[in-house]
Amino acid sequence: MTVAEKQPVPAAISVRNLDFYYGANHALKNISIDFPQGQVTGMIGPSGCGKSTLLRVLNRMYDLYPGQRATGEVIFDGCNILGPKVNLNVLRARVGMVFQKPTPFPMSIYDNIAFGVRLHERLDRTAMDARVEDVLKRVALWPEVRDRLHDSAAALSGGQQQRLCIARTIATRPEVVLLDEPTSALDPVSTARIEELLDELKADFTIAIVTHNLQQAARCADQVAFFYMGEVVEVDSADRMFTAPRENRTQDYITGRFG
Amino acid sequence: MDRSATSPSALTGVVRGNGDAVFAAIVRCAAALILLGLGGMVAVMAWGARGAFATFGPAFIVDKAWNPVTQHFGAAAPVFGTLVTALLAIALAVPLAFGIAVWLTEIASARIAGVIGTLIQLLAAVPSIIFGMWGFAVLVPFMAHYVEPFASHTLGRVPGIGPLFRGAPYGTGFLTGGMILAVMITPFISAVMRDVFLSMPAVLKESAYGLGMTRWEVVRRIILPWSRTSVVGGIMLGLGRALGETMAITFVIGNANHIGWSLFSPGNTIASLIALEFPESAMGSLKFSSLMAAGFLLMLISLGTLVCSRLLLRTRAAGR
Repeated sequence: MTVAEKQPVPAAISVRNLDFYYGANHALKNISIDFPQGQVTGMIGPSGCGKSTLLRVLNRMYDLYPGQRATGEVIFDGCNILGPKVNLNVLRARVGMVFQKPTPFPMSIYDNIAFGVRLHERLDRTAMDARVEDVLKRVALWPEVRDRLHDSAAALSGGQQQRLCIARTIATRPEVVLLDEPTSALDPVSTARIEELLDELKADFTIAIVTHNLQQAARCADQVAFFYMGEVVEVDSADRMFTAPRENRTQDYITGRFG
Repeated sequence: MDRSATSPSALTGVVRGNGDAVFAAIVRCAAALILLGLGGMVAVMAWGARGAFATFGPAFIVDKAWNPVTQHFGAAAPVFGTLVTALLAIALAVPLAFGIAVWLTEIASARIAGVIGTLIQLLAAVPSIIFGMWGFAVLVPFMAHYVEPFASHTLGRVPGIGPLFRGAPYGTGFLTGGMILAVMITPFISAVMRDVFLSMPAVLKESAYGLGMTRWEVVRRIILPWSRTSVVGGIMLGLGRALGETMAITFVIGNANHIGWSLFSPGNTIASLIALEFPESAMGSLKFSSLMAAGFLLMLISLGTLVCSRLLLRTRAAGR
């Protein structure tokens, strides 16, 4: 049951029969889902349903923790990224991630962005300046920080920090951007700015966003996946999902009967 | 809440006797005791040292002699030995402790990290006299037979650093002293570093890995800058302990009143000198006073280290 059958957009990432375990805890059960290229896929569901876990599989963040393992296939660029020979540093540069809380590095605004770029590319001073300016403009942060690029990033507000983190992530030019409840710690104005930003970013990136905010999913996502108890219950376009879901459980969740 | 029950005047009245005032007075006394104790110690050391400073003047600090026969005393050699062994210990212990802490927090599995972490804590609990015995029985012969002859034939011929590694292989000396101290302070430093690394928010580390950083890059560029204040604090803690350590180093330093380039040559530290000679010096004698003066200097060095670390941390924090 994938959207790919209805839409001719090729998938940037294809998840096939994925199972995931935290030790003995079976957290994802036989998940299959496509993330269509250049679209925003929203992932909704009650806490603990596995949506953040899936994100952490897509860039193998779970690898940092012993006892967590995944079986099945996650196809990205023709390669199963769950395989043992995958270069995680390259994978994580191509599949970027933004977290729930802003996580600026303990360095200047400029270096927060330049640092990630330097890991993967050799740019001269001018090209780096241009890259920093470009991504800061894309996240609409440039006017606010252009005069203090070399001040500590810790001095920015929460909303500004989160936009900086998004800028930092896209500065390495990933193909996919994963966002794990990126606005849940932010005020409504900052949230609105980030939602606008997602709309612009999907021209260049495939986006997967986990959110607890159903309105946010409805506003931002092209396709929505509903997760429940470690399973994908339903994947559909945002319009259909919120107006005419096929499954009763989806209906119950989006009308607030549980969650 | 029923506001009519409490009259406004109750706000200013004495509530439930004056127990709070008594409590405040007690804790104030406890805090004052610290000030009194530290001040008293400094005063007693300074008073005891007055004889030495009156006889030799400020030159006591730079005078290399320590001769009970001629009643001529100077603190330069033990001060030199104290600083050299402590700095050697830091130079050896910091990379080691850093490696241990990184391995424990970033690489080892939780179970193994728990076991090793506990063992390191136990190492910190080993009494220093045990380190002294081990150093004398094991480390000194090993240094004398293998390390020092080898080093003087190789490193000793390198221009520039050569003089550091030349000299008779006694086994005892600055290098051995520094090594014993390094083993003793490594647990402290690595425990502090480990706690700091563990207290780092996981998402910050994940963001760094999420950009495609390697472990080394995450440690070097994210964890260290984030935790440097506490790391420097931990190093200073170790330095303080190395400066004041007595028993272990007495066994391996060689107890010779000597200043020189060679790290192999026997020397002395203030704490070791006092431990050996204090019981044999007559109360009120010039030697007694000179030892008090040396102790006073040691205290100044330790306090100075602490002040330096505070200043260092403050300027770094401001530079952020």
